[in-house]
Amino acid sequence: MPRPALVDATVWRLAWRNVGRHPRRTAIVLVAIAVGIWGVFLTMALNFAMVFQMVETAISTDLGHLQVHAAGFDRSPGLEHRIPDGEAWGERHLDDLPGVRAWAARVRGDGLVYSPRASVGVRVLGVDPERESGVSRVSGSLVEGSYLDGGRGRVLIGEALAKRLSLGLGGKLVLSVQDVDGEMTGEAYRVGGLFRTSWSEIDRGVVFLRLDEGQRLFGLGSAVSELVVVAEERDRVEGLRDTIETRLGDGLEVQTWKELQPLLDYMVSAFDQSAWWVYAAVFIAMAFGIANVLLMAVYERIREIGVIMAVGMRPSRLVAMILAESLLLAAIGLGLGLGAAFATTAALSDGVDLSHFAEGLNAYGIGTRLVPVIRSQDVTTPLAVALVTAVLASLWPALHAVRIRPADAVRRV
Amino acid sequence: MAILEAKGVTRVYETRGVETRALRGVDLAVEAGEFTALAGPSGSGKTTLLNVFGALDEPTEGSVFLDGEDLSSLSPAELAARRLHKLGFIFQAYNLIPVLSARENVEFVMELQGVAPAERRERALAVLAEVGLGELAEKRPTEMSGGQQQRVAVARAIVSRPKVVLADEPTANLDSKTASQLLDLMEQLNRDHGITFLFSTHDPLVIDKARRRVRLHDGRVVSDERA
Ligand SMILES: Nc1ncnc2c1ncn2[C@@H]1O[C@H](COP(=O)(O)OP(=O)(O)O)[C@@H](O)[C@H]1O
Ligand SMILES: [Mg+2]
Repeated sequence: MPRPALVDATVWRLAWRNVGRHPRRTAIVLVAIAVGIWGVFLTMALNFAMVFQMVETAISTDLGHLQVHAAGFDRSPGLEHRIPDGEAWGERHLDDLPGVRAWAARVRGDGLVYSPRASVGVRVLGVDPERESGVSRVSGSLVEGSYLDGGRGRVLIGEALAKRLSLGLGGKLVLSVQDVDGEMTGEAYRVGGLFRTSWSEIDRGVVFLRLDEGQRLFGLGSAVSELVVVAEERDRVEGLRDTIETRLGDGLEVQTWKELQPLLDYMVSAFDQSAWWVYAAVFIAMAFGIANVLLMAVYERIREIGVIMAVGMRPSRLVAMILAESLLLAAIGLGLGLGAAFATTAALSDGVDLSHFAEGLNAYGIGTRLVPVIRSQDVTTPLAVALVTAVLASLWPALHAVRIRPADAVRRV
Repeated sequence: MAILEAKGVTRVYETRGVETRALRGVDLAVEAGEFTALAGPSGSGKTTLLNVFGALDEPTEGSVFLDGEDLSSLSPAELAARRLHKLGFIFQAYNLIPVLSARENVEFVMELQGVAPAERRERALAVLAEVGLGELAEKRPTEMSGGQQQRVAVARAIVSRPKVVLADEPTANLDSKTASQLLDLMEQLNRDHGITFLFSTHDPLVIDKARRRVRLHDGRVVSDERA
């Protein structure tokens, strides 16, 4: 019973020696594959870093992993949908819930902010400074002043908004909102702190104030608009949602960040899909490179192939030998390319400076430093596909090889 | 029973509408233990007949029997297996796989046969010693002379213990002294081990060494004499 040809040591040894036969030619095709793979994985790593930052920014400055709302808030996010005694509910249900790293209650409403020089439509967020710093990075993004802990009547705004209002630290502004009964109301505050995140939307359009002051401004009493939850583990968010769901009383709902911002989730998968076009281009180029080298090798080895067939090598082993040569070329090229890509990302672990483009990018929540990351799931599938491509690329030369008739081949000199 | 037998073998080549009748009804039987020369001028059909005997080519008409088995009934993989187990081949030149050493070339057919590594190595070294190349076992073909390469080819052909060794002008690329030494080696193997040889040549010195001489002319056997 003959052994399967591809697990045959003879086949692999011949393939290995043949690959080393024309060092320059082999080197050229290996470098071509390696450079292509290096470029692809590095591009993907940067793309992923961008998407990752986009998602991280959204999660860590606004969305959290999960949010609890009054039912209906999702469709019409207004004050009519509120959680009565929201903080107490959170303390009762979220404080000791396993898998919850932090949570915070918020009041969320729209308003107009006036300075002596300008007025701007803004989102007003009432937050509990202590809890909020557990779910949001805004507290860590202060550039001036303090984080809502400098006494009453203070607000925290983005540097960009301050500029639009021509206000500095300590400057006076008036917030005008519609309260829970639909009445216009307003209050004066001082700028207690300025922040700068990597998300221009937040920097330009949000006014933070203390939760209790927000509740008073909107006339909410002890009700809140939402409870933001950050999970211990990003991968367990769906499970945590299900757990919280079982604890929800009537009239409350819980949603993950993906459900809250489907567009964000869509962008992640769109990036993943677009990656395949880049992979396809590189793999097709690789396939032609390998096919070309192996065709050349078959043509110049016709006599030799005739001899090894004459002495009794089965056609299937011949095919296996060429396939093995292709796999070796691909594997070495991929290994080199991947090694180079990992080395490059290691060298860039402090991040790539994107400050030249940051103006445009931070509209999407992308900062000025990107740290390229190669995830294992970004590597395994493309590598498997690349090896399959290499197998396919070897079929054409292999077909030529098995069509060689030894009787004709051995006549050649 | 003959080891090799051709019955009414005709081989017609067709290239771009032109027919060449390389063999015209050859009947020939090779018996075990023979040391036979296939003689004849260039173009007389020697290579074609050896290829047909060696299961490398098929007759247009007639049948070829190897060890009593009709080759026309076998698939390509089965033909490969018959070549591997029952035949040894020596060609005029470039017999060896250039990326393998002499020993590895000799081991190659045994690898294809599935012989265990230790036995393979032992047999390869023994056969190389027998053909006088014990010292050169680890050399690659490019590091050897033409005569040495042909000796490796002989070693490879006999190491698999074939029924018959087919050699197509094995001495054509060698000077007469080396040619004569190669023939002496083949004859010694034939005598000592009873290995059957069928070799083609148009060199009178080589023909003289054969014990049976079959002459071809224009694709026909014109004489068949035993010394
Ligand atoms: N592949 C081929 N196609 C066409 N004609 C061929 C081919 N091979 C051999 N011939 C012709 O067949 C005849 C016999 O050739 P060959 O068997 O090589 O003779 P020898 O080995 O005695 O020189 C010659 O006329 C040769 O030209
Ligand atoms: Mg010839």
